[in-house]
Amino acid sequence: MSSNHQVLSGLGVGLEAVAAEVFRVAPAKPLPIPANHTGDKEAETHKVRSAVDAVSSQLQELGAKSEETTREIFEALEMILQDESLFEQAIEQIDQGFEAGTAFVNAVETFAELLAGDETFEERIADIRDLGRRVAAHVHGISLGLDLPTTGSYVLVGEDFSPADTAQFTDAVVGVVTIAGGPTSHTAIICRSRSIPAVVSCQGAKDIVSGQSVLVDPVGDRVVVGADLSSATRALSFVSKSQEPLVSVRANIGSLEDAVTAATSAAKGVGLFRTELLYLSSKQKPTLQQQIDSYTEILAACPEGPIVVRTIDAGSDKPVPFLNMAHEENPALGVRGFRLIKEHREFITEQLKAIESARAKTGRDVWVMAPMIASYQEAVEFSELARSLGEYKIGIMIETPGIISAIKHLGGKLDFVSVGTNDLSQYLFAADRMHSQLGALMNHWQPGLISALADIANLSAMAGIHSGVCGESASDPAFSIVLAGLGFNSVSASPSQVGQVRSALMSVDKDQAILVSKAALGGLSAEQSKSLALEKLASFEG
Amino acid sequence: MSTISAQVVIEDPIGFHARPAGQIVKLVKESGLEIRIGKPNEKMVKANSPLSLMALKGKSGETLVVEIDTEDQSVADGIVSQIQEFLRG
Repeated sequence: MSSNHQVLSGLGVGLEAVAAEVFRVAPAKPLPIPANHTGDKEAETHKVRSAVDAVSSQLQELGAKSEETTREIFEALEMILQDESLFEQAIEQIDQGFEAGTAFVNAVETFAELLAGDETFEERIADIRDLGRRVAAHVHGISLGLDLPTTGSYVLVGEDFSPADTAQFTDAVVGVVTIAGGPTSHTAIICRSRSIPAVVSCQGAKDIVSGQSVLVDPVGDRVVVGADLSSATRALSFVSKSQEPLVSVRANIGSLEDAVTAATSAAKGVGLFRTELLYLSSKQKPTLQQQIDSYTEILAACPEGPIVVRTIDAGSDKPVPFLNMAHEENPALGVRGFRLIKEHREFITEQLKAIESARAKTGRDVWVMAPMIASYQEAVEFSELARSLGEYKIGIMIETPGIISAIKHLGGKLDFVSVGTNDLSQYLFAADRMHSQLGALMNHWQPGLISALADIANLSAMAGIHSGVCGESASDPAFSIVLAGLGFNSVSASPSQVGQVRSALMSVDKDQAILVSKAALGGLSAEQSKSLALEKLASFEG
Repeated sequence: MSTISAQVVIEDPIGFHARPAGQIVKLVKESGLEIRIGKPNEKMVKANSPLSLMALKGKSGETLVVEIDTEDQSVADGIVSQIQEFLRG
């Protein structure tokens, strides 16, 4: 690729690349500035009603043309638009003197503020505000249509696209780039379901203008200005060389249903059984017998192989109702996971007893581990406690950077360690894992994370401790090869990813995996680490 | 008309989000009854309003009070158990 091709990084959606001319969607036309009405409240109320009904029927029309996922989105939006409380709020605004459009936008804003600050609703708020704009635009006779070309082939570039926008995508839209939005935005969901190559969260795309030609390269997580398809990153295809994966592939579960699903996958055992669900939903502490029954049922349903059970990982952001957890300013840095032992030793002891009884009853190969261990003393405290209560294998989660150097002293005390890469990234980079603007630091190809993983695998091997990875990163097939190359003994992925991760780990031998991990370690950025690893992988083909 | 009240628990690990709110509104509209939902000892909101229900910001594990304006205990029981089902996620 010649050096004058500007590369803009983002997050890819899909596996196919496309190169075409840009159609730049201009920022939405501004609505008239907030204004008062001339005194006829009834006329304004009527305007709101008919604009709401008109937008409602637009949504119905768009829904009728769409496939199921999209249709459900439009039905939900229409239900919100027709919310009587929203209409009453708008009438109150009219009573205060605002004209119909302003009144409705203000009413929407009242609810948007009520919902703000709650991560469950972050993406819904943008949709609700869009409804407000649509009603106001209708009141003022402004068109919010995108006026997209219907013939030719274009890559649509814009800030982000609402459900009403994406429903207007014509056949001429062959690729999509958004400046904002994330992997769970509507644009991403729609493009995935319609197989339109897309790159979202691509901040560099703000300077792209209509008429330029771009390559949308989702596999490479990038947009390349002026490049053609020959520069596209090739999607990986894994050709099996052996019957069994290089390291064992386990599944992550959190419930009986998950255990049943995992048992239908090719997973060899369970690498992470999250036990929180058993407790987060009950108001009273389940009795020892109830816990034994739950664990027995779930252990019996798990896929064949070892089952790694994590003791409770709760904190003030994930409170257990019956443990009376105080509010904390920084729950991620507070009393969570094994730190609960100080106040709730009996509870953790009882959990370990219940797991031991279920182990004995089912005869399964059970391993137990504690989350949020930060020091050698804590690791030893858990090891001694668990050793006194059962005959399982004993380990800890590696999530805090502080525990890494202690691994070399833990030989003989621990049987295994398991890395939670999501939390390890959060604590390595001091970046809240839920923060929408810090997503780039949570990318598991970050060189800082890969080098920490290399240390963990080395120290564990020297101490004679089995090492595994159960975070999100282990569900990425290419990254699982890096993990095997670094020296980890097992990986654990979500049940739906087990098949792909296994295929990846059946396509290389140990020496090749080591070469891929060395390539990844040579990167100076997440993008570079990933592309170096993928280039190395591609070099083995043919 | 008398009011029957009952309690439900949010069991959905992600809390009281948009989908259960929509399911409850649909149920309330179909029932034709006036139904209110709220946290104990706090202001109740009309259960036909998805936005008001979402604005309760109910978290997993929290208890909610359901008030139904009806004299028919079996109708009320049916509605409460369906609402509980929606909140199971």
